[in-house]
Amino acid sequence: MSNDPKSIIEELSDHYQISEIKEQKADLLLLKIPKEDAVQFIRELRDGQNYTHLAFMTVIDYIESGIFTLTYMLHNYAAHHNIAVHVDIDREQTEMESIHELWVHAATYQRELREMYGIRFPGSPRLDDDFCLEGWDEIPPMRREFDTVSYSRERFFDREGRITTDPREHMKQIMYPIHTDND
Amino acid sequence: MSLKDLISPFYVWQRAFEKPYTQKHPIQERPGAPRYRGFHVNVLEECVGCGTCETICQNHAIDMVQVEGLEPKPGDSGLRPKFDYGRCCWCALCVDICTTRSLRMSNHYAWITEDPTDFNFIAGADNMSWNGEEYGYRRDDDYHLLRGERVKMEMLAPEEGLKSFEEVMKGYTEEQAKDEADRCVECGLCVATCPAHMSIPDYIKTVREGDYEKGLRILYETNPFSSTCGRICTHRCEEVCPVGHQGEPLAIRWLKRAIVDRVPRERYREILGDEVVENGKQVAIVGAGPGGLSAAYYLRRQGYGVTVFEAQARAGGMLRYGVPSYRLPDNQLDKDIEYIRSLGVEVRFNTCIGREVQFAELIDDYDAVFMAIGLNVPSSLRVKGEDHPRVLSGLQVLDDVASDKNPGVGKNVAVIGGGNVAMDAARVSRRMGANVTVLYRRRIADMPADPEEIHESQAEGCTFVTQAIPVEIKDADNPDQVTIVWGEAEMVADEKGGRPRPVLQEDRMHEETYDCIISAIGQGGSLDFIPGDYRDQIEFKWGKFVPGDYQQTALQKLFVGGDIANNTADAISAIEDGHHAARGIHKFLTGELVA
Amino acid sequence: MIYAKRRKRMSTQEHNAPIDLESGKYVKIWQGPQHPGITGNMALELVLNGDEVVDCKTHVGYLHRGFEKLMERRTFIQNFPIVCRIAVPEPTFNEYLYAAAVEELAGIESPQRAQWLRTLNLELMRLASYLMWLGGIGASFGQATIYQWTVTHRDYVLDLFEEMTGARVYHMYIVPGGVRAGLPEGFEDRARAVLDGVERLLNEIEKVLFKNVVFKARAKGLGIISKEMVDPYGIVGPNARAAGFTRDLRRDEPYLVYDQLDFDVVTGTESDAYARAKVRHQEMREGIRMMRQILEQMPTDGPFQAKMPNVLHWEVPAGETYVKAECTRGEYGYYLVTDGSQYLRRVHVRGPSYTHAIAVMEKLAVGTNIADIAGLMVSLHTYPPEIER
Repeated sequence: MSNDPKSIIEELSDHYQISEIKEQKADLLLLKIPKEDAVQFIRELRDGQNYTHLAFMTVIDYIESGIFTLTYMLHNYAAHHNIAVHVDIDREQTEMESIHELWVHAATYQRELREMYGIRFPGSPRLDDDFCLEGWDEIPPMRREFDTVSYSRERFFDREGRITTDPREHMKQIMYPIHTDND
Repeated sequence: MSLKDLISPFYVWQRAFEKPYTQKHPIQERPGAPRYRGFHVNVLEECVGCGTCETICQNHAIDMVQVEGLEPKPGDSGLRPKFDYGRCCWCALCVDICTTRSLRMSNHYAWITEDPTDFNFIAGADNMSWNGEEYGYRRDDDYHLLRGERVKMEMLAPEEGLKSFEEVMKGYTEEQAKDEADRCVECGLCVATCPAHMSIPDYIKTVREGDYEKGLRILYETNPFSSTCGRICTHRCEEVCPVGHQGEPLAIRWLKRAIVDRVPRERYREILGDEVVENGKQVAIVGAGPGGLSAAYYLRRQGYGVTVFEAQARAGGMLRYGVPSYRLPDNQLDKDIEYIRSLGVEVRFNTCIGREVQFAELIDDYDAVFMAIGLNVPSSLRVKGEDHPRVLSGLQVLDDVASDKNPGVGKNVAVIGGGNVAMDAARVSRRMGANVTVLYRRRIADMPADPEEIHESQAEGCTFVTQAIPVEIKDADNPDQVTIVWGEAEMVADEKGGRPRPVLQEDRMHEETYDCIISAIGQGGSLDFIPGDYRDQIEFKWGKFVPGDYQQTALQKLFVGGDIANNTADAISAIEDGHHAARGIHKFLTGELVA
Repeated sequence: MIYAKRRKRMSTQEHNAPIDLESGKYVKIWQGPQHPGITGNMALELVLNGDEVVDCKTHVGYLHRGFEKLMERRTFIQNFPIVCRIAVPEPTFNEYLYAAAVEELAGIESPQRAQWLRTLNLELMRLASYLMWLGGIGASFGQATIYQWTVTHRDYVLDLFEEMTGARVYHMYIVPGGVRAGLPEGFEDRARAVLDGVERLLNEIEKVLFKNVVFKARAKGLGIISKEMVDPYGIVGPNARAAGFTRDLRRDEPYLVYDQLDFDVVTGTESDAYARAKVRHQEMREGIRMMRQILEQMPTDGPFQAKMPNVLHWEVPAGETYVKAECTRGEYGYYLVTDGSQYLRRVHVRGPSYTHAIAVMEKLAVGTNIADIAGLMVSLHTYPPEIER
């Protein structure tokens, strides 16, 4: 077993369709793997390549492409090296295989992603339990289309007496009003 | 379980004999650390109301509000920040980014009030107990959120520049322009000061974004001489740029040039989308300088038929004949003028009002007249002997050079004056191989010329003799030379509070001989062509028109502008006069403007 | 209502041993979110059989302020005052990691002097945070005096922060590009005096707490983290080191100036509440040792801020990175994704409490006496805000 991440990837490339490989820095490699092979690939990294630590898992919302990109940040304690495994999933058909059997704390991440992004991980323990939110009935709030400002505006009010003035507009009104009427 | 473990915790008892840590009430005895981020303080006199604090505040805790007794003035919006302590998180980014460093914090710990509205206050204006406290958070001298250094522009080395009339300033590269544009804080204080009220922050933004086509459209909303102004504008906007308070102001002029330099002239029409739909009305314009042609452009865009009468053989006025090509190359001026003419503006060259065409004809034959004839009569030195044949006028020298004629300045030249014409005459003479001495009544700091021009003149080897008052001009031994007598001057403070006055020191006189003396102390206008009966209807002061709103005169059809009708006498003011007159003429001819 | 809802959910859980709450054998109690034995605002939903816990569920969300979402809608400089709030007693690690991640993506390198100042800031923070924790572990086992002592000395450290950064709790000192200021006049001497005081305190606490028969009796054997648990549960920091893992990012993946400092990685043999406390206690001494070196070696002049673009229009090139640091609880990390605009596409803040307070706590609580739950909780050293972000 080699500790060199590049040769690990080379070796795994024979069995997996690895793409978008990028060495962000000496101790962080980014790559992408198809959804179907992802969990098997991650298991292989954990069991076969010593990437035994799941630092976190999360998702990036590429709303404009209709994609959620999951990130699994794995760490190899011996080599002091991280691999970020990316998996694209459909933003509408948001389902992904669970990894709670690989790491216990993954279940908590999956619970959070279900709540905050609406991604389902079938079989993940207590998946539908509330994580942070109680009685939330809007769209999952971390999705990019959820607009925090308008949500707040609908429910709260601004402090009274708060009015601001634009310096440029203010100077125009007072210093040169007639030089700006339209032609 | 060992006995030791049972006894060990009783060690705690020894503390009973120690001095307690706690401090006695009142806690106020302990002041905050010198850099503690307490409550906001604003030095109202230093603040210019640019609102950058409001922009950076991620909590929306700042409003810009009017303060009693503060009116907007050039470089100061008159607004001041008002803080909402219901939202503030005391990060002090507002303090860090403050362009003038007027915004600070006291090191005050606590503020208790029963009225929550108190927590919405104008720092510095409202009477707070911590105002004037010595300590508190300030931006460190070595820490900046804004960039104070201007991006340097490549320029021709002075020794190279002297060899030709090649343009000295090379313009920004795309990368340099973006880098310089990045320094803008988008406050817009400059807009009020720009005579044409150009949308400066907006076009700077287009430079940042690399969208020069959009930039050109923004420029042409207020200025059809953008290539010209991008080079030789007096850029009063830069004097009020708040970034200049803690560093160098934005190079606004060069950024304008950066846009125009990147758009080829052939694409102007397509980019600007100017369509002319004739409305059948005719306007006469006198003078094809920046004022006249600016009016022509905006009138033409609205469908007016425009005829421009120009006394000279070429268009451009003072820009053509008064500004040498190392500052404004002919092709750049042509770029602006050609586009205006391409919209169907007719220019009649070598046509002088009062000679080829009479004033009354214009008034009778056209629906309106815009007059921007400029100043082309050199002012007199008012010293004995100034009509000596070896005394040349600065304007004449520049005119000759622009028309490819040799002004014959000789090898040793004295230039009298401190304005841009004086600097240009001096630099032109240097380019023709002369040694040049510039004589000026006051100090260099008092010179009306652009600082860059003064600097470049010096770099090109012109000798400056300041506080020198010409007293007499007389014949030299050699008939091809001329002798000037001048005296040293002392600057004397003005009792009325005006700028210091130079006073001649009779005991310190000098006499020197030159091949020629170039007089460049200013110019006036000539209004002789206006017949008396019209004259009586028009208001004049010091030989200039005094226009009313929209540049209109009491002779309703007559609108005036440019150097002959304003006191700033620069291109950008003339451009605005032309634009403003075009607004007025349109209102007048559509019946909106009631005189 | 809530009770009924939760009960219904519980009954559907198949992986848990069936607990029939109606049998009268069990009692369900909530510890938190307002309870002196809870570290911050979170709640433990405990099911008891007598005084023994048979089931534990951690509930978070009481401090959810949506930081990650807020940060997607603020400019890069505007995020700087936000991040410190993600771990209340330990804001500085957030400041450092956010700054380091943005700098990496923007291609900015902070000057040497800033790196020393940042290291000093982080180690002071570790000391302040550990002092508070040490009080907590004492108090949760009935030794409230310890708390009074340590919080006092923490306040002396906060005095240093006030001098250095202008604030006591949310320092907002480490800014992308560098730091906001150098050290004030005479700071080094005042800092050394505070460190000497804390060192004396640690010696006293050694006697009063660690050699205390009550603490020993209750903390030893409490909440044992086996070696086998460490990786499957993602356990890091002192919790893992107490189990014998010599893992410390300061040594394993040195950042800032840690490679120029001499320090030992403290480990234990069996990670119970006592061993974990012992490791932290010893780490405080190591931290003091490091800070003395920093005060000795750090450059006193030179720039402390890199050349920066105008922060008002700052666009960071598209990219992603993960930057981490060893905070008091272990691996703290910032995962940043940028898309070339003036805003972050995504930020994920990885805090050790995420697993320590939920997966680990839920497991270790089972079989524990209800009286020791608070001590167990504190011994894991968790901060709720970094869980819910």
